[in-house]
Amino acid sequence: MVLGIGNPILSDDGVGMRVAMELKSRLGKGYFEVKWASIEGLSTLDEIAGYERLILIDSIKTGKGKPGDVCKLSLRDLNFASHLSSSHGVDFATAVELGKRVGYKIPEIIEIYAIEVEDNTTFGECCTKKVETRLPEIVDEIMEVIKCA
Amino acid sequence: MRRITIDPITRLEGHGKIEIFLNDAGNVDRAFFQVPELRGFEKFCEGRAVEEMPRITSRICGVCPTAHHMAATKALDDLFQVEPTPPARKIRELMYSAFVIEDHMLHFFFLGAPDFIVGLDAPASQRNILGVISQVGLEIGKKIIEGRKRCREILKLIGGKPVCPVCGLPGGVSKALKEEDRAGIKESANYLIEVAQLALKLFDDRVIKNKKYLDLISGDVYKHRTYYMGLVDAQNRVNFYDGNVRVIDPDGEEFVKFNGHDYLSHIEEHVEPWSYTKFSSLKAIGWKGFIDGKESGVFRVAPLARLNVADGMATSLAQGAYEKMYDVLGSKPVHNTLAFHWARLIEMLYGAERMLELAEDPELTDPDVRNIPTEAPDEGIGVVEAPRGTLIHHYKTDERGILTDVNLIVATQNNAAAICMSVERAAKLLINHGEVSDRLLNMVEMAFRAYDPCLACATHSLPGKMPLEIKIRNKDGEVIKTLRR
Repeated sequence: MVLGIGNPILSDDGVGMRVAMELKSRLGKGYFEVKWASIEGLSTLDEIAGYERLILIDSIKTGKGKPGDVCKLSLRDLNFASHLSSSHGVDFATAVELGKRVGYKIPEIIEIYAIEVEDNTTFGECCTKKVETRLPEIVDEIMEVIKCA
Repeated sequence: MRRITIDPITRLEGHGKIEIFLNDAGNVDRAFFQVPELRGFEKFCEGRAVEEMPRITSRICGVCPTAHHMAATKALDDLFQVEPTPPARKIRELMYSAFVIEDHMLHFFFLGAPDFIVGLDAPASQRNILGVISQVGLEIGKKIIEGRKRCREILKLIGGKPVCPVCGLPGGVSKALKEEDRAGIKESANYLIEVAQLALKLFDDRVIKNKKYLDLISGDVYKHRTYYMGLVDAQNRVNFYDGNVRVIDPDGEEFVKFNGHDYLSHIEEHVEPWSYTKFSSLKAIGWKGFIDGKESGVFRVAPLARLNVADGMATSLAQGAYEKMYDVLGSKPVHNTLAFHWARLIEMLYGAERMLELAEDPELTDPDVRNIPTEAPDEGIGVVEAPRGTLIHHYKTDERGILTDVNLIVATQNNAAAICMSVERAAKLLINHGEVSDRLLNMVEMAFRAYDPCLACATHSLPGKMPLEIKIRNKDGEVIKTLRR
């Protein structure tokens, strides 16, 4: 499945959802199921359980790339200590590990595509101009990945 | 396409910070707790139809969507001057109970328990839910996940979705419950009562019966004599969904009880140049700084505050647990911050028992779930108890219902002054002569973890959690140690 996550009223935070929506219109019905949601951590498990392969699309702010750059990550890249400072913080890697231990059928292949964003702290229903203008090429880039699957 | 490794601090603008300043002797001079800011919410809302607010505000916070949805829905009731029908009120409270139970359960097992059950001396990499499960067994881990699943099913059944519900309307809810839904809700309520009792037993066995932890909870490091605030029902018992706001003073005497509609007469907001957060204080006393005691307007909200302001719990098992807590800790109000964890589990039990009461109520499946508003809108205020404390939504509109003004007072704002005080006090008592170990810093973190503050609600960006950075600075302001979670 393809899952785009984010907050659609927090500017670039919603870019993962925007990309998933565009992918769905391009892919139609077929091999991949495409979904989007405003979820995190444990809630993500509910969506991904039972699928064989997951392509997760989310935003990221490293400050090291240009807005709209796409980074490919694996779960291993989320290699910080799983110590939670807030219940906001059941991170995806911990959620997946927990899911495995309690019997969720977690996808064997998990690929994460993180889109560098400019602003994810200002309320707004649109992405910033820098991210918005790069949306078509972001979608192209992830389409290529899906085609190769 | 770049390939990177994420460090928690890579989201440069999106992390909570604790800054600790040492003096010449290497002791703590000041400590500050800061959270990032989300910008432009009022502007985003103004000009929109007020009926959108339950759906918009539920997206403010990734953890508290149902609390915002409910506060917004109640503000719409007030704004359109329409009461929900009795069945609608019960459906709302049922959904809200499921939400609080899940939130409290996850907070305990994911955040509170790692310090106590995995242990203060365990490596940070093990102080997490996986470490807890290693200690208590996989079967308990499965029960937590099953309990969460059942809460989510009820949230979805009533709210339309497991997160960001869409059911709240002025004067009621969008959908009645069917008689065939009742058995499943009852079964889940009974299951959740069991999980809550199991959590309380675990707390009793591993924390209360452990002298080291009991001393920590009841000692001075995590203690502040403050005012407390929370909703109570007509019998002054804890209520998450409705009631009057009661405030008690540090001696436990009622300071004021007011209708949420009058919050502006009782709560004021203070701004500090070093923080985006507004700090709430009691208007009748005023802001006197980050100090506790009767002379300070600082008050606390959330589970322990709710139990402190109440005369008891509205359900029998929770009442027993409530009496035990005050008996063991020896006084009321309890001023010990780590007791928030205990109070949270007592509230979880109350929520599950209340869920069962509602599931057995014949009126729950009555199809009369909406009173249609007929009055022109003007101004509305909605108050609920979010898991993290008293939450207030206040809207003003023109006669067409178009928003002209929005003010939200969120729970973490109400606790913000106390959180800063708690962090500073713990730092001052734990860090001496420049000795700053990871263990001591974790114990400083415990001071704010008990409150479960919201660190910049709603951002979902990777790495998927709000990083925390702790910086220790020497007397010249130079960073001598940095710790990142």
